[in-house]
Amino acid sequence: MRRHKSGFEQMTNTCGTAISVAMLCLGFLLGHAVAQGGGELRFCLRTEPKTFDPLKVEDDASASIRYLTGGVLVRVNRQTQDLEPGLAVSWKVSKDGRQISFRLRSGILFSDGTPFSAEDVAYTVQQLMDPALHSPTGDAFRSGTGNVETNVVSPSQIVITFPAQVAGLDRLFDQVAILSQRSSKKEMAVLGPFMVADYKPGSSVLLKRNPNYWKTDEQGRKLPYLDSIHLDIQPNRDVELLRFKRGELDLINSLDSEYFDKLAATSPQVVHDAGASLDSEQLWFNEVAKSPIPNYKKNWFRSASFRRAISEAINREDLSRVVFHGHAQPAVGPFSPANKFWFNSKLKPQPYSSDAALKALQDEGFRMENGTLKDKDGNEVVFSIITNSGNKYRERMAVLIQDDLQKIGIRVNVVTLDFPSLIERMTQTFDYEAIILGLTNVDLDPNGEMNVWLSSSENHQWNPQQKAPETAWEAEIDRLMRAQASSSDPKKRKEAFDRVQEIVVEQEPFIFLINKNALSAVSAAVQGAAPMILSPQTFWNAERLFVGTK
Amino acid sequence: MSLWQKLACVILALVLCGSVAANWLAPAGYAKQYREATDAPPSRAHWLGTDEMGRDRFARVLYGTRISLLLAPAAALLSTLMAALIGGLAGYLGGIWARMAMAVTDLFLSLPWLFLLITARALMPLNVSPLISVMVTFMLLGLLGWTTAARVLCTTAASLRGSDFVRQAQAAGLPAQRLFWVHVVPNLKPVLYAQFWISIPVFILSEANLGILGLGVAEPMPSWGSLLKELEGLVSIGEEPWKFVPLILLVVVVTSFQVLLSKQEEMAA
Amino acid sequence: MSSDASQNQILLSAHFSVRYAGKPPVLRGVQLEIQRGEVLGLVGQSGSGKSTLAMAILGLLDKKRSPAEGTIRFEDIDLLQLSERQLRALRGRSIALVLQSPLSSLNPALKIRTQFKEAWRAHASGTSADCADAIRNSLQGVSLPSDDEFLRKYPSQMSVGQAQRVLIAMAVMHRPALLIADEATSALDVITQSEILALFRELNHSTGMAILYISHDLASVAGICDRIAILHQGEIVECGTTNQIFTNPQHEYTQRLMAAIPRLMHANAPLHAKTATAQ
Repeated sequence: MRRHKSGFEQMTNTCGTAISVAMLCLGFLLGHAVAQGGGELRFCLRTEPKTFDPLKVEDDASASIRYLTGGVLVRVNRQTQDLEPGLAVSWKVSKDGRQISFRLRSGILFSDGTPFSAEDVAYTVQQLMDPALHSPTGDAFRSGTGNVETNVVSPSQIVITFPAQVAGLDRLFDQVAILSQRSSKKEMAVLGPFMVADYKPGSSVLLKRNPNYWKTDEQGRKLPYLDSIHLDIQPNRDVELLRFKRGELDLINSLDSEYFDKLAATSPQVVHDAGASLDSEQLWFNEVAKSPIPNYKKNWFRSASFRRAISEAINREDLSRVVFHGHAQPAVGPFSPANKFWFNSKLKPQPYSSDAALKALQDEGFRMENGTLKDKDGNEVVFSIITNSGNKYRERMAVLIQDDLQKIGIRVNVVTLDFPSLIERMTQTFDYEAIILGLTNVDLDPNGEMNVWLSSSENHQWNPQQKAPETAWEAEIDRLMRAQASSSDPKKRKEAFDRVQEIVVEQEPFIFLINKNALSAVSAAVQGAAPMILSPQTFWNAERLFVGTK
Repeated sequence: MSLWQKLACVILALVLCGSVAANWLAPAGYAKQYREATDAPPSRAHWLGTDEMGRDRFARVLYGTRISLLLAPAAALLSTLMAALIGGLAGYLGGIWARMAMAVTDLFLSLPWLFLLITARALMPLNVSPLISVMVTFMLLGLLGWTTAARVLCTTAASLRGSDFVRQAQAAGLPAQRLFWVHVVPNLKPVLYAQFWISIPVFILSEANLGILGLGVAEPMPSWGSLLKELEGLVSIGEEPWKFVPLILLVVVVTSFQVLLSKQEEMAA
Repeated sequence: MSSDASQNQILLSAHFSVRYAGKPPVLRGVQLEIQRGEVLGLVGQSGSGKSTLAMAILGLLDKKRSPAEGTIRFEDIDLLQLSERQLRALRGRSIALVLQSPLSSLNPALKIRTQFKEAWRAHASGTSADCADAIRNSLQGVSLPSDDEFLRKYPSQMSVGQAQRVLIAMAVMHRPALLIADEATSALDVITQSEILALFRELNHSTGMAILYISHDLASVAGICDRIAILHQGEIVECGTTNQIFTNPQHEYTQRLMAAIPRLMHANAPLHAKTATAQ
């Protein structure tokens, strides 16, 4: 799923802190007395978690808690981006992509001691697909009308049949935390490494180790190592940074490049730059036919050669170097190279050349007069770029672009707007010319982007909700996106989506600018940390982290 | 003229000349980006260093002074005149006028300004030049910033209305508007001066803050407000003292004006 | 009150009442006549309605809150029937006012020159040279310097006596037919008081303007007034020549006033001296 993000509501957040050194506690587990001493990890949630029900998760804070407490059938390894067994030891997707069968681990208990079986999976899937529950997680599975069928073959085997084909079906289960059908504790009975022990609204969430967690490490030790995780609810990033510096927090997720540099200046060993993330920043022109902007401007914006020339005239190297201090990579296309499987590796970074851009524009009938570019009807080429105020990176990118385009005689007015006004112009009134915004990408699969690329979609931002595709290339993207969605053959899907990426780079409806690097900080006290670009960056392997000694 | 006043004069003259002569004094235009030398400390090429986008800070301070020093006092003057007219006149006329003016003032104070300003921005076209944008913003500030002063003026003017010298002037046959402008307004001067001088720094900062609503000076044009924004999030004063130049300039200029004019007042009194 | 004086000799003839809404009248059927060139004293204690009477003649009472009813004929025009604009044309030109406290009656924020200019411009048009001439003449008329240095002064830079002279100079600038002096000497020390009284007398003789001299102090009006009217609780209880009032007071209140003069003269000074030593 792609979401527009503002400077205020940043993406997945989680930063941790492990304060003190080892706190020892004794746990009696499955008859063995094992000394645990992984300590406490501390980090911040940047918003109040809206729910502890894993099926209702929408916000990042709740998603972090779900990741730490929920047991899932299969898990996407944040390092390899491959799918790995969880509660399911094996699984199989049918040829038609409608059906998936899981073989489950046996002898597993929920955190409250209730045994886990295939009935619980059936219950969870029914809940997930219950239209009355409106599960945001369930939306990804809803590809057709009709009911989902769950067939419990044995306590350790289940077959789930969806009414229609679901693309990338198996990976979607990474988000589905299994609920207990029978436990009286409802969603508070969990199968993940941690469980919610205490919640102080507005202040903190305390997670304790789940004594019944099934996983062990290579030496046969029970996971997780940590005794507890203390999550402070703290929206202020400056406070977060300060507390991290004072040693009161152990992790900071998705650091700003400015904060990253500040931290790096004093303690270079704690900061991690994991390279380009999935998140992109892009510029696009308003191509809505009924928008209230002059027709001659619509003609520019709806011309692919105009958009290509603008794209070519933007110095992306400078954007990443000057604005992000090098903690960003020039964007290649709609998918970041960080998306190992889906990125079209044939695509190369776009070259920067003012001269070539100007020449291309002149070929289209534009001409330069006294340093000012005019179209063939003599209209001066002037447009405004809007972006959300308060996001200095976007503001600075806009200023650099303003300067770059000045070189080919284009005058750009940069206007920063409060987020609601910006969204209103972007989605309601279409009273804008160009926008710089970013997209947060939490899903590796292009299926999560159907709502961006289908011309009929609301989030087809440059020209949304088209009754029929207005251009041949948009029609082609529609066809390819549908084709990849209705195929369960990864190779065919990849081919289709590779082509989509090529068309987007050719047509530039979104002029992709940069991919921000995944920046994080981990205090020296935390052992076993390996921050990744995928959310949750720093604590994706929380079960193997420890503070102090094991 | 005291030593302080002379000093204030010299400072103001220097600042004014500097801003007027920005074209010759500045090593580059305010928008010129030295992308290879961003956020640089002062050097021979860039006396006050460069900002995040590699623009010469000295040039931006000079050009920013030109904008703010011209427009902030203009807006302050506008708001002071509004306060004098609305508060002073209502207080002087008394009765229903005073009640009406105070009701309007209360209404003004209770309006949700944020939303009105957002509406104002929505009504403005996106493609306005940075200069127009900053001018409109200062005008809005001038049109909105009069309320508190108007209340004080209303009470002051009401007490003046009953004073002997107004009665005496009435008996001398002065027409009502002469009475107001010649006899009432000069006695409101202390309040008006205060309003004027307080407004200038307030407006300069407000202009910067209105940037979040898409009002105020637009990139790449500098104003004192936008220059002061650089100080946001600066951790320590010691590290990069040159970034404080715009702030010091603001304080020095406002103080100089005050020294110069308050001394004149004292002499007059 | 003589009604047989010829009509054109009568400058002002008033018969009116003033009441504030919902309260007993401040002035009840006050009858008053002033002849051309005459100095009429109006004596009464504080709260007797003296100032209200002065304001009523100038048309400066709030017409809604305290309307004057009756007639005030000035040069055969009923002032109470005039519009504000017409009244304004008379104020300062035909009828002028001098108030009690000279320092508060001058605008503290304005230079003397400015205040003169305003008073002059209210009823005259002409070049600034004409204006400067008029100012100089008026100041000379009250024996004040008329140089630049003096005109640049603010009221706070002058003595009380100077200020009162300035006020009088401004009041007589347009040669009014009637000057109303409302307690014009009460705030002054004895010496200045006698100087200002002398000035009034002199102006009365030299320009022939009538003066309505309002005071609470019967003794101070004796030396300047041709006739005296006694105001008591909103009514004129007695009116006669100065001589008549002093020698043969008719009304009981006038008699009490007369009786108070010697006692005050005797009692006052030692009393003050005593308190001073006691402190």
